[in-house]
Amino acid sequence: MNFEIDESIQGPLAALRERGRNEARPIGLEADRLGRPIPVGDPYFARLIARGEGRTRWRGPDGEKKARSKPKSAGSRPSRRTVKTLLFVEELAYWDRGVVVANPGVGLPEANVIAMGTDEQKERFLGPFLAPDRPRWACFAMTEPGAGSDAAAIQTTARRDGDHWILNGAKCFIGNATRSDWILAQATLDPTQGRDAQRAFFIEQGTPGLGGFRIEKKMGLKAYESTSFTLQECRVPGANLLGGEARYEKRDGFKGAMKAFNAGRPVVAANAVGIGRAALDEALAFAREHDRLADPRVRDRLERAARKLKLSRLLCLKAGWLADREKPNIIEASMCKLVAAQVGQEATSLGMELLGTVGARGDHLIEKLYRDVKALDMVEGTGQIQRIIMARQLVGLPR
Amino acid sequence: MFDFEFGEDLELIAETAKGFATDALFPKLREHERARAVDASVRASYAEMGLAGLELPESLGGAELGPLARVLVNEELAAGDAGAALALDPLGPALYPLLEIGGEDAVREFALPLLETDGARAIFLDAADAELEVGTTVTGSVPWVPSDRADLLVLLRDDDAIVVRDGITTGELRGSGMRAAGASELTLTAAPIAARFEGRAGAARSRARARLYMASLLVGVLRQAADFSREYAVEREAFGRPIAHHQGLTFLIIDMLAAVDGARLLLHEAAWRLEHGAAGEAAAAAAYAEAIEASTLIGPNAVQILGGHGFMQDYPVEKYMREARAIGLAIGGLDAAREDAWTALADADCHVQLSHLEVAQ
Repeated sequence: MNFEIDESIQGPLAALRERGRNEARPIGLEADRLGRPIPVGDPYFARLIARGEGRTRWRGPDGEKKARSKPKSAGSRPSRRTVKTLLFVEELAYWDRGVVVANPGVGLPEANVIAMGTDEQKERFLGPFLAPDRPRWACFAMTEPGAGSDAAAIQTTARRDGDHWILNGAKCFIGNATRSDWILAQATLDPTQGRDAQRAFFIEQGTPGLGGFRIEKKMGLKAYESTSFTLQECRVPGANLLGGEARYEKRDGFKGAMKAFNAGRPVVAANAVGIGRAALDEALAFAREHDRLADPRVRDRLERAARKLKLSRLLCLKAGWLADREKPNIIEASMCKLVAAQVGQEATSLGMELLGTVGARGDHLIEKLYRDVKALDMVEGTGQIQRIIMARQLVGLPR
Repeated sequence: MFDFEFGEDLELIAETAKGFATDALFPKLREHERARAVDASVRASYAEMGLAGLELPESLGGAELGPLARVLVNEELAAGDAGAALALDPLGPALYPLLEIGGEDAVREFALPLLETDGARAIFLDAADAELEVGTTVTGSVPWVPSDRADLLVLLRDDDAIVVRDGITTGELRGSGMRAAGASELTLTAAPIAARFEGRAGAARSRARARLYMASLLVGVLRQAADFSREYAVEREAFGRPIAHHQGLTFLIIDMLAAVDGARLLLHEAAWRLEHGAAGEAAAAAAYAEAIEASTLIGPNAVQILGGHGFMQDYPVEKYMREARAIGLAIGGLDAAREDAWTALADADCHVQLSHLEVAQ
C-alpha cells in the first residue's frame, strides 16, 4: 500500500502549476468575462504548439511497429498512465478546466481511434497531430438533442450508398467542433437496434452536408466552444468507418470495443476535484482575510469540504489504479464520478456562501468555479446514470 | 507510487480475521450480546489465531504490526460483531498511550499482566469522554465504557497519559451497543495514579491511533450493514420486483455503498501515514469524522430498507444502527474529530494540501 506521489510526478505537477497560474487562469477568466471561446488564432494556442504540446500520443506507424515487436516481459511493472493522467488533469482543472478542453490536440476521440482505428485511419487522422504545423483540433460527436445519457437512443443515421456512407442527423454540445480538422461522429445503422447498430465515422471539416454550426451560450466553461451542427445527406467514404468493415463482421458492433475498465469517468471526476480544490483554497484565503476562521461553523464546513475532496481524489485514483492494471473498475469509475461531481459542486457552493454578497457580484473566481463545475455532473453520464451503472453490477438492476 | 494493494502478509491476516468473523462471530452475535461476553470456545479459537498480540512489540512477544494491520483486522472482526471485536482485544486502544508515550517498559509493566489474566480488560479513555479531576489522585465518573471490567484505565490528555489500576468501581449498564463487550459506568474515588507519561507528540499520536481503531470498527459495521441490506433488497420483492430495483431504494443503496468505500479509503490512507511515521493526526481525525458521518446515513437506512423486519431483532440491522452510533461517540466524537481534522487546513498558507500524499520519507 502506498499513497505517495513520487518525484517523477511531483516535477511535472509543479510545472503544470506554474503554467496554470500564469497562463490558463488568466486566459480562462478573460474568456469567461467576454463570454466567448478562446479564438482559434489566439497566440496562446500557437505558443502551446511551439512548445510541443497538442500532439497525439499515438507514436506513428514506425513507433507502433516497434512497440508491437517488443515482447512484454512477464514481470514488467503495471502501467501508471491513468494514475498520472488523473493527477495531471486535476492540477490542470484547478487552474481552468475550460482552457484545458480548448487546448489543441486530438482530444476525446484519441483513445477510440488508437484502440479501434485501422493503420490507414491512424496515419490519415492522427498523423497530422504527430508534429502539428499549427494548432489542430479534432472532436467526438455522440450527444444529440434527444439523446444525452441514453446514448443507445441516438437518431443520426448512416446509410450505405455504394462504397460510401450517407449520414443524416443533428449533434449538440460538441466541444471544438467548428475548429476541428475532423469529427468522429456516432451514427446508427438502425435506430431500433441500440448500441449494437452504432458505428463511428470520420467526417472531415468542409465535407458537403456537414453544417448548421451554432456555438452555444453556456453557463460556464466558456473558454471552449460547445457546438451543435447538422448532417444532411453528408457523404463520407467507406474508409471513414472507424475500425473498417471487417471489424464489425467479427464483433458485435460498438459493444465489442468496450472494455471492462474505464478511464474516462475518473478523468471527469478528477476535473471536479481540481475545481473543488481551487474553490476551497480561495474560500479559505477569503475566510482568513476576513477573520472568519475563529467561527467553528466556518471551520467545520471548510474541514468537511477538504475531507470530501480528499476522499474523492482517493476514489478517482483507486479507479485509475485498477484501469492501469486492466482490472474491472466499472463500479469504481462510476462511483468516483458520482461522488466527485457532487463534492466539487459543494465545495464551490460553500465558497459562495463564505463570500456572501461578494459572490453575488458575479466577478469573483469562486463564482466562476461554481458555474464551471456543474457540467461535470453531466458529462460522461449524469450522477443518476452513474448510480444506474453501479446498480446493474451491485443489485442486478436490469437494463 | 500509488498502490492500493495491501501485500500478501496483510491480506493473509485480513483473510484470517474475515474467516473467523464469518464463522465464529456472526452466527453468535445475539448470543454474545445477551451474555455480555464472548463464548469461551470462541475466545479459545481466537487466541489460537495469534491476533491478540498484533501491535505488541516483538521483544514482548507480539507481532509488532502497525496501524494498517489493525484497521484491516478491526474492519473484518467488526463486520462479524463489533462488540465481540472489542471483547476479544483486552488492551484495545489503551495500548497506544503506553506504547507511544511510555514505551516498551510501560507496556511490559501495565499491559502484559492483563494478557495473562482471563477476561481482564484495559480501558482507553480520552479526557473528552469523562469528567475526572486529576491531582495526585483521580476522582470522578465516566458515563460509559464498553466493558464490565476495568483492570486498567489509561486516561489520555493533551500532554500526557495517566494510568490507574486501583480505586475504580464499575456499575453495570444496559449499554446502547456493543454489549458483547459489556457496558458500565466507572466511578473513581481518589484513585491512585500508578504512572504518568508525558509527551505532547506521543499523546497526539496515541489519539490518532485510537481514532483509527474506532474508525475501523465503524467501517466494518457500516460495510456489513450496507451489504446486508443490499442483499435483502435484492431478495425481497414488492410490487412485482426486487425492492432494490425501485429507484428510490436503488439510489439509496448505491449511495450507502459509496459512503462505505469513501470512508474506507480515508481510513487506509490515514493508517498508511501513521504506519510510515508521517504526520497523520489530522488524517486520522478526518477518517473517523467521515466514518461517523457515513454512519448517520447507513445505520438508520439499513433498518429502513428492511422495513418492519429491520426494527425487529430477528435481523441484525437494528444492532448495526445502534452500534454504528455508539462507536462514533468516543474521543469527543464527531465535533472533536472535525476540530482536529481542521488543523490540516489551519496550517495551510495559500494552498490546501488536503493533508494527503505529500509525505516526507
